[in-house]
Amino acid sequence: MAIIEEPRTTNPARVVPYAMRDALHVPRERYFDREFFELEKEHLWPKVWQVACREEEIPEPGDFVEYEICDDSIVVIRQADRSVKAFHNVCRHRATQLCVGDGRLPGGQIVCPFHGWRWNLDGTNSFVFQPDGFDPSCLDPDDLALRECRVETWGACVWINMDPDARPLREALAPASPFLDAVGVEDMRVWWWKETIVNANWKLAQEAFHEGYHVMATHPQLTFGAGENMPRGGQEYTAFANGHARFQSASTGTDGSVAPPGGADMFLQFARVLWEGQDAMTLERDVQVFEGVRNKVSENENFAAAAIGALIDYAQGAGIPLRTSPEAMQLWGGEIFLFPNFFFLPQYENALSYRFRPYNDDPEWCRFEVWSLTMYPEARPEVRAKLQGRYATDDTENWGLIPRQDFSNMARQQRGVRSRGYVEHRLAEDMERAISNMHLELDRYLAR
Amino acid sequence: MAPEPRGPVVHVVPIGIDLDLEPGETIIESAWRHGYDWPTICYGQAQCTACHVEVLSGAEHLAPVEAEERDALDHRLSVTGIADPTRIRLACRARATGEVTVRKVGVVAPDET
Repeated sequence: MAIIEEPRTTNPARVVPYAMRDALHVPRERYFDREFFELEKEHLWPKVWQVACREEEIPEPGDFVEYEICDDSIVVIRQADRSVKAFHNVCRHRATQLCVGDGRLPGGQIVCPFHGWRWNLDGTNSFVFQPDGFDPSCLDPDDLALRECRVETWGACVWINMDPDARPLREALAPASPFLDAVGVEDMRVWWWKETIVNANWKLAQEAFHEGYHVMATHPQLTFGAGENMPRGGQEYTAFANGHARFQSASTGTDGSVAPPGGADMFLQFARVLWEGQDAMTLERDVQVFEGVRNKVSENENFAAAAIGALIDYAQGAGIPLRTSPEAMQLWGGEIFLFPNFFFLPQYENALSYRFRPYNDDPEWCRFEVWSLTMYPEARPEVRAKLQGRYATDDTENWGLIPRQDFSNMARQQRGVRSRGYVEHRLAEDMERAISNMHLELDRYLAR
Repeated sequence: MAPEPRGPVVHVVPIGIDLDLEPGETIIESAWRHGYDWPTICYGQAQCTACHVEVLSGAEHLAPVEAEERDALDHRLSVTGIADPTRIRLACRARATGEVTVRKVGVVAPDET
């Protein structure tokens, strides 16, 4: 496994409480301690590149979306030239929040509801009501402009950073983002987007998705009866610099061997259980294409390769920009984690994507969003993406079996880290390395 | 001679202008596109109701009131001085499908602003 260690910060600005002592243990207090949470609010979130929204949430000039992270509210606005700007979402007069939720600014004006002060979409002030009532020093145009955040776009997402001195986005996402370029996340759009509120620290919740080790016990249906005899291996785990991580198929074959061995029946069953279990990564369209070749492949042929071949043909015919390089196909069924809180799990022309944020200023609650993404034919017009809804973790109408199984462990873990009988996590060296890698990077932020 | 086919048009009195509405466009957005100054405080958020119009004719050619506009008309419109509140629509939400005439005082032409 490739592990790229960064030197620990020399001369740290502060001592981080409950710091990581090695890559194998995570102190329990990191998941509930108020002081630790406040350090994250002060030294992680205002300093780190983070996804504020997907680009298709604001397709047209004047479209806006509010991004909330802890105490901060940022408004992200599509400009007339289709670039994106982001501002601290607060009136320069008496602090009223300017924009709420999402919407359009058809008049090209951000208006404060309290006294009617206005700003253009680029953040410059355009109107102060009865300005002669103010001392000129209070109306300096530069000082009246909305406070801007850094914005860059990548992966069909709008990323913001509140730190004006932050390094460029692609530098911060290195070396992980090129693997996602290879599968074409840039061309993926929302199939559905839902969220839930989880009674667990944001890190604890997202750590449910850092490994495939939990599949045997949490998702028994995905082992097709192998149970505890489920073989180890087949997966390759990599901890990258900058806190990012990856797991993917250990095989670099180009034969489309992305499903468990076992011929047509097993391949089709696996495709179907993914589609039915989460309506993501494998969609109904893919299942139909795979089933279409069922009777066209002889016993001696590799069914998976034939099925993937059929999908590639279908994509070409439909104008879907499916990526099929060996590097891309190796990541199908795998995952890239982008520090601090964002995931892509690509497969074929689809992907799952996750974002985790603290919720309600409480270290023990988080807001967990799930996107099912897919590639549409290239001719499709851009459609504004909307959150379908917020659903309880046990809502069987709105969450498939697979996410409900994952949710079910999170609150129980949060109860567990509160136990006096518990000190720290003990992690598998290889399979769970992404977890400690994330925490080690977090400590670097908190110490700076 | 056959009349030229035309899209939705909103006649505005007393200023006496005709606004053509592009697909998806509201009355106030068409006015802005043509450079008119139209009374508003919130600039299109269905909050202030200052852009409201009285529909004089062609109400059937306006797209139905949706939730945001309904909420504003029911709860934030001051009806003092309004003869018939059922004829009021918000220019920042109303879209037309045909010919409509509305009354709106305070619309100012580009060269007068």
